[in-house]
Amino acid sequence: MFRTCDITGFKVDLRSEKLIRYNAVFAVISLLMAVVAALLLVFTRYQPMHLLGAEWYYRLVTFHGLNALIFWIIFFEVAGLYFGSTVILNTRFCSPKTGWWAFGLMVAGLVISNIIILMGKADVMLTSYTPLKAHPLYYLGIILFAVGALIAVILFFGNLMIARREKTYGETMPLVAYGLMTAAIIAVITLASGALIYIPTFLWSLGLIDNVDPAMYKLIWWGLGHSSQQINVAAMVSIWYMTSFLTVGGTSINEKVSRSAFVLYILFICLASAHHLLTDPGVSSAWKVWNTSYAMYLAVLASMIHAFAVPSSFEVAQRKWGFNKGLFQWLAKAPWGNPAFSAIILAIIGFGFIGGTTGVIFGMEQTNIIVHNTIAIPGHFKGTVVIGTTLTFMGITYYLIPLIFRRKIVGFKLAQWQPWLFFIGIAMLSIGMIVLGQLGVPRRHWDNTFSGGPFSHNFNPAVDFFWVITMLGGVIAFTATLIWILIVVFSVFWGPKVNGPQDMQLTISPLPPEGKPHKGFEAPGTLVLTFLFLLVFLALFFLNWKWLAATWNVN
Amino acid sequence: MEQEQQNQDPKRVPFYRMIMDDFMLLLFLGVTIYAIFYLLWGVMELSNLPGIPDEVKSNLIK
Repeated sequence: MFRTCDITGFKVDLRSEKLIRYNAVFAVISLLMAVVAALLLVFTRYQPMHLLGAEWYYRLVTFHGLNALIFWIIFFEVAGLYFGSTVILNTRFCSPKTGWWAFGLMVAGLVISNIIILMGKADVMLTSYTPLKAHPLYYLGIILFAVGALIAVILFFGNLMIARREKTYGETMPLVAYGLMTAAIIAVITLASGALIYIPTFLWSLGLIDNVDPAMYKLIWWGLGHSSQQINVAAMVSIWYMTSFLTVGGTSINEKVSRSAFVLYILFICLASAHHLLTDPGVSSAWKVWNTSYAMYLAVLASMIHAFAVPSSFEVAQRKWGFNKGLFQWLAKAPWGNPAFSAIILAIIGFGFIGGTTGVIFGMEQTNIIVHNTIAIPGHFKGTVVIGTTLTFMGITYYLIPLIFRRKIVGFKLAQWQPWLFFIGIAMLSIGMIVLGQLGVPRRHWDNTFSGGPFSHNFNPAVDFFWVITMLGGVIAFTATLIWILIVVFSVFWGPKVNGPQDMQLTISPLPPEGKPHKGFEAPGTLVLTFLFLLVFLALFFLNWKWLAATWNVN
Repeated sequence: MEQEQQNQDPKRVPFYRMIMDDFMLLLFLGVTIYAIFYLLWGVMELSNLPGIPDEVKSNLIK
């Protein structure tokens, strides 16, 4: 039932390993479908090409959204939850049979929903706001997927209980597992919201219910739609800590504070769903301000803690290894040749500087109005879900291939370039979209020229330039994703077998030697980078308020 | 007696860690805060919205 990993020393439950593999494979399949659709969408919105007709545009917006934001992410997270709760906690899988049932339901959901979308019976986009109505099987597919995912989360908690009862870990849960537990708790909130709204909508599509109130639908749906992305945040941050440990032997300089930050996520991050209702007249300003400001900033504080704790864990470990000169020798001498390391560092930079800054600014009731329903919003979540989560998942896969699939990475040189290429592409795409949104370009709109519409609009001429940046970024990111998928597929199916530590292309670092105690900051380089980040954030913050003042001229 | 207390001390789990390691309690708190502040409060506000006056409604439907 178990094998002892000859590389990490972990006790691996073979039944869990199989489930991890299959969930990861379906994650990759979902990502492939998502990015093919994404490329076609970019080529359609880029007006000189305008590839697809209106119907197929909206069809693929639905297809892309569901595969990218739900299927790819959640399949990968389920693999991560199983890995975290069995391999890291050194325990057995509580009910493998149920795990396969969960997997079967998720696959059935994926297949049914995708077929219905491609048949043209669910052109409702991911949000599927009522009164837009899709075929009942579309909703059923999502419900089946969600039930499967919920069972997987329950199994995760079952594994935790076994680990705690059998005392397979030390006094307290390892930080990585703790972060994954946070992700699982957020997943429960997310999936419960999904059930609350998709079940009545399914009944409504069958004609068994007369009406689903659109305002109520939107409120509850975003409890699923936004919170599902917070599962990503918790899982992603856990992987950041794990990568620091694997690559340089780094650990959080204050684990208690890092854990507290995860608790802040559990308590407050899901309230951020209210961002999506900032222009809705049905809910009061008090509800909006509480949920998107006072309470939500505690979750932002948690992200700030992680944003300092993760890079500082790299820095402190590197300094202990002797890279102690000046402010940034630790960074210059970091293992950049390790694609997992470069992917995670780039993910942190992109998530903070692009996704994080815009997230806070666009999430405020006042400045949100500048970009509400513009293409800047998907531009923002390209900075969070794609540069942050997807690049992180891509990076950690370079460890999963030898450790879980027991294969060497095929095309290792290419793998070393892939995170950089993906980062450049998505950064261009994301920044291009954000600037376009600031210039008023709408999101989810088939025709930028509004041809045949009752009114016309002349955009700022700079829009043309940023469309080119967006389109080129999309092509580069698509190419980088394809490279990653090919590396994964070739490695997993045809790669040479890993027979022991001698076949590892990536290092697994031991803990660094204990350095001499020193006065002053533990991680001065990270501190400087943090101040740089805050400066950028402040500049963008005031710039947006300036734009807001220019929008409404108050005398 | 003092000796006994000292022997027991290392086993005593600090209160904050008891809370932070209890994932069922965290699950309960996470769900409750979200349910109260986001969901119930939002649903109550939407439920208490006055209906559209018939005159406006008939104009819209027309």
